[in-house]
Amino acid sequence: MSQDDFFIGWAKTPEIDRRFMMGAGLSIITGTAAVGIGIAARQRPVGPGTWNMGEVREWRGIATAEPYGMLRTLDLDGTERTALLGCQGKCGVSAKIGALAGKPVVVKGSLIQRGRHTMIAVIDGLDWIREDPEGSVDGLAFPQPEPIMDVSLEGEILDTKCWFGAMRPAQGKTHKSCASLCIRGGLPPAFYVRDMKDQTALMIMTSGGYGHNKDLLPYVADPVAITGRLQRLGDLFLLDAPVSAITRL
Amino acid sequence: MSHDYKMVQWNPFKKRFDVWMLSGIALYLVAFVALTYATQPAGNSFTPIQAMIRATGTLAFLMLSFILCIGPVARFTHRFKPFLYNRRHIGVVTFLIGLVHGGLVLLWYHGFSETNAFVSLFVSNPEYGSISGFPFEVLGFIALIIMFLMAATSHDFWNANLGPGTWKALHMGVYVAYALLVAHIALGILQFEKRPIFFAILGTGALFVIALHLISSIASLRLSDRIGHEGWLRVAEVHELEDTRAKIIRPVDGDAIAVFRDGNKIAAVSNICRHQGGPLGEGKVVDGCITCPWHGFQYRMEDGQSPPPFTEKIATYATRIIDGTVYVNPKPNEPGAPQAPSEIGVSA
Repeated sequence: MSQDDFFIGWAKTPEIDRRFMMGAGLSIITGTAAVGIGIAARQRPVGPGTWNMGEVREWRGIATAEPYGMLRTLDLDGTERTALLGCQGKCGVSAKIGALAGKPVVVKGSLIQRGRHTMIAVIDGLDWIREDPEGSVDGLAFPQPEPIMDVSLEGEILDTKCWFGAMRPAQGKTHKSCASLCIRGGLPPAFYVRDMKDQTALMIMTSGGYGHNKDLLPYVADPVAITGRLQRLGDLFLLDAPVSAITRL
Repeated sequence: MSHDYKMVQWNPFKKRFDVWMLSGIALYLVAFVALTYATQPAGNSFTPIQAMIRATGTLAFLMLSFILCIGPVARFTHRFKPFLYNRRHIGVVTFLIGLVHGGLVLLWYHGFSETNAFVSLFVSNPEYGSISGFPFEVLGFIALIIMFLMAATSHDFWNANLGPGTWKALHMGVYVAYALLVAHIALGILQFEKRPIFFAILGTGALFVIALHLISSIASLRLSDRIGHEGWLRVAEVHELEDTRAKIIRPVDGDAIAVFRDGNKIAAVSNICRHQGGPLGEGKVVDGCITCPWHGFQYRMEDGQSPPPFTEKIATYATRIIDGTVYVNPKPNEPGAPQAPSEIGVSA
């Protein structure tokens, strides 16, 4: 090291340090960015859900509060379609439907959608739902759940709002706390399964025909097995099983 | 050196360094988020906040790993000293990036509910008895608190008022924070993104940091010289001491001693800089003053005092030269106590 090569921060930077820092700085920045790009490019697919928060509109249909807040409405092609209902945050709205359950209503909110799965995130305030004087229950009334078969499945309990598109990704350990808050707040839980052929299915979880709530929290977002009864409720699939039928894998 | 406390003692080098650092950070964040979107299957896309959570989380960890490598690498090459000089800036910025990461997590995963977000952080996942299920967010939160304490006390004001020992002990907490972050990642995102490449990156990075510290420690011990002579420690032959540089002696008891040569003068002082504990023996005599390699703090050879108007003092040691061999008395003088340097060619 020559007389002038000793680096002192407050003095003039030696030329050799200046050149080294230039090269090292570029190398470190490039290398770090390369690692970041490598990580970013290998992340798991997060799913095709969307939530158009800015597009608030009204839907007409029949509301119910059991097992969860839901609206049965007509799709554009005239077929019945069931949309789950949730608030803007991590809470359900079934307790707020009250006397309007089973009646024709108008619901105001924005759509969360993932494939055929839909949820309406209703607007804040009291005017998110009102009775529809022009509506009719004919053809839109919620049917009774129709048993399909008893099943034993392995998968993950998650919350419907996030998985439908409010969050991406919305599964696994990193989302566990959020899913727990959502389910604790009254949002419908669902059981998500993926088989060896990468076929997936989502079933809304119930117990004896009623909704789950805090009882599910110990198992949320963990790999679990459930034995229960698969049911059809209109265009929805339900998995009816008590919490005692859940085992951790 | 003691001075009026300012938020940052700016100089041209620090400004250039910060511009480079911030440019690199911006490049990383843009590249990470862009690739996060570009590589998802058609119709799949992260929410912007979740993409930023991952970008800031990975960046903060990479930066902290780099920070921990600076010290050991600087022991092997003087060229890394400029990074060491600016390590404090990198540390504060790393904390801020970690804070953005933690803030977004708190907002996105723990907010928008009736439960307080900070309460949710600790209770939403109650599996404290499980390893794979452990609430990893808590580990990251504790690491962030440690990094906050370090960033908040990184200024010289705190170094001066807490005292070098307490300050150093506090800032050794970075190793606890790093261990917590390794666990935070291993028990968190790697339980979801299970590709081997992610485990490899984390494991390689952590092992590299550990290996560097071990190698550096072993290299430092090689500097030890415990051969005694009537209670004095042999340092070296006069001709073995490079002009304006030092040899570090580590007594069996007591702190390491830096024995400097400046022309025909030999003087010994504590190896520990009063500022941030930098290794003075790896510094150099500049304009007659021993100059710390970390931040350029200076001390006079003859009394261990910083030149006026500065007031820092370090311990001095007596030296003597017998038959061309330099010896040092391992008993320190009071910090700032005058101790005449030995002169080459003049018998002890």
